[in-house]
Amino acid sequence: MSRVMVVDDHPMWRDAVERDLVAAGFDVVAAASTGREAITRFAATRPEVVVLDLHIPEPDGVQVTTEIIALRPATKVLILSASGEQNDVLAAVKAGATGYLVKSASRDELLDAVRRVAAGDPVFTPGLAGLVLGEFQHSAATEVRGDKPTLTDRETEILKLVAKGLSYRQIAERLVLSHRTVQNHVQNILRKLQMHNRVELTRYAIEQGLDGD
Amino acid sequence: MSSAAIEVESRLFRALAVLRVVVLVNAVGLTVYRFDNFVSPAAALVCILVMVGWTAFAVWAYAAPGRRTAVLVGADLAIALGLLLVTPLVKGPGFQASVPGFWVSGALLACAIHYRWIGGLLAGLALAAVDLGLRQEIDQSIYGNAFLLVIGGGVVGYMCESVQRMALERDEAERAAARAEERARLARAVHDGVLQVLALVQRRGGELGGDAAELGRLAGEQERGLRALIRGEQSGRGPAAGLVDLAAALAELETGTVTVSGPATAVEMPARPAEEIVAATRAALDNVRRHVGEDARAWVLLQAFPDHVEVSVRDDGPGISEGRIIEAGAQGRLGISESIRGRIEDLGGKAELITGATGTEWELTVPRTGVNG
Repeated sequence: MSRVMVVDDHPMWRDAVERDLVAAGFDVVAAASTGREAITRFAATRPEVVVLDLHIPEPDGVQVTTEIIALRPATKVLILSASGEQNDVLAAVKAGATGYLVKSASRDELLDAVRRVAAGDPVFTPGLAGLVLGEFQHSAATEVRGDKPTLTDRETEILKLVAKGLSYRQIAERLVLSHRTVQNHVQNILRKLQMHNRVELTRYAIEQGLDGD
Repeated sequence: MSSAAIEVESRLFRALAVLRVVVLVNAVGLTVYRFDNFVSPAAALVCILVMVGWTAFAVWAYAAPGRRTAVLVGADLAIALGLLLVTPLVKGPGFQASVPGFWVSGALLACAIHYRWIGGLLAGLALAAVDLGLRQEIDQSIYGNAFLLVIGGGVVGYMCESVQRMALERDEAERAAARAEERARLARAVHDGVLQVLALVQRRGGELGGDAAELGRLAGEQERGLRALIRGEQSGRGPAAGLVDLAAALAELETGTVTVSGPATAVEMPARPAEEIVAATRAALDNVRRHVGEDARAWVLLQAFPDHVEVSVRDDGPGISEGRIIEAGAQGRLGISESIRGRIEDLGGKAELITGATGTEWELTVPRTGVNG
């Protein structure tokens, strides 16, 4: 089973999640309660999956995601957030997280989500799909430079169906595609979203004059 | 005096320091040019030295707020008046231009800046009275200059006061914004803690079953309510006056069985169409409860485009057969559907009902006419 790290500053939450994961057979190799602990322990234990609360003491969940992905790009980060502050969730996914779940999700939903991200399958809740759709629609309406990747019509269609609560299986049926194809489209959508982040960072660097020397 | 008022005064005195040098160069230049108008070269030289010396001293003295005393301002005005008064002695009684000329404006504006409109007005009156009193004859331009002194002093004093008041108001607004920001930060921390606990109670309650499950369900309701509230209060989401955030308004419809998705940014719309869209969405959700079941799942998706918004409400019920819709229409039982359609069409939009194997879906499309962003 996958090696997992749990990051949450609420001890009761951390323990509950850890207990559930261990009971389901996951190998919980580390737990952390602050961003700094998370990054150090990640480097020491190299887990494959990180279950991460966004609201943790400095550095916050978004920065931790960025650092972890920079250290080991293949890491799967599952965001588990209580408040669901949408800008933070979107920022974390742009930074490389591959799943998002609100804390009110049931134990089975959590375990299913961890299994899916561990298998390399993005966990898109309808809420997250709505945010991502909004991000692409916003950039399509405001971008003038055109260096941010856009979604194909098919990808937009699939994202809309995810946001409307259809499962991958239902989407595959409705669009007469294979389940695998739907998954590939969802992965592409995430990859393009993460490129938005890179384009923004590059622009920022150029504006700040950090690209020359 | 508040720090904002002192800051305004300091800026004005820095600007005045530049003006003092400009009018000094002008006064010295004119004195040298009309050197032979003076009774004696020594008198002219003394006048020049007084102006140069006092200008240098005044620039230094006014630079620090602590040195801006009544004595300094009084001395400033007294020297300007003194140079006016000695004019008949050093240039003869029939003089054309006074010795200091425009140089007196330094003292005039210092009075105006430090004592506001009343200081400027009184200094202007004093300078104008002395200047006019010394003249043997007063022509249009001499009268005009004196009049400008009086008016200018008052106007500059009044402006200084206004700018100080604005700076005070700005400071107050900045403090209020900082306080609000801090409150919001604290609220976020508190809310997050409460949400964590509510989510945990909901989760554990569901696992324990029995009474605990009921407790968990109630905690879940509160958790969603609070989450929807926070969603509407995120920083940078305060809609402009007269507009409401449709995304936050729709988020309030979320329950244990209804998921609401939308963009991370606010979707601003005028209040009336937003209310109508929310009402139509609520009617569609009522319809789901009525026809599919009390605990039927439903999904609301809001999409915002520059020229229109789209709201979709989907359930995963068995769908409605073509026959049933026609039958219901024939029996006049299409009340809810007609009310949804009516509301949306009144806004210039369109409402479509799509039904199939993967549930029934309302697609509401409403133009955002006259709304930017």
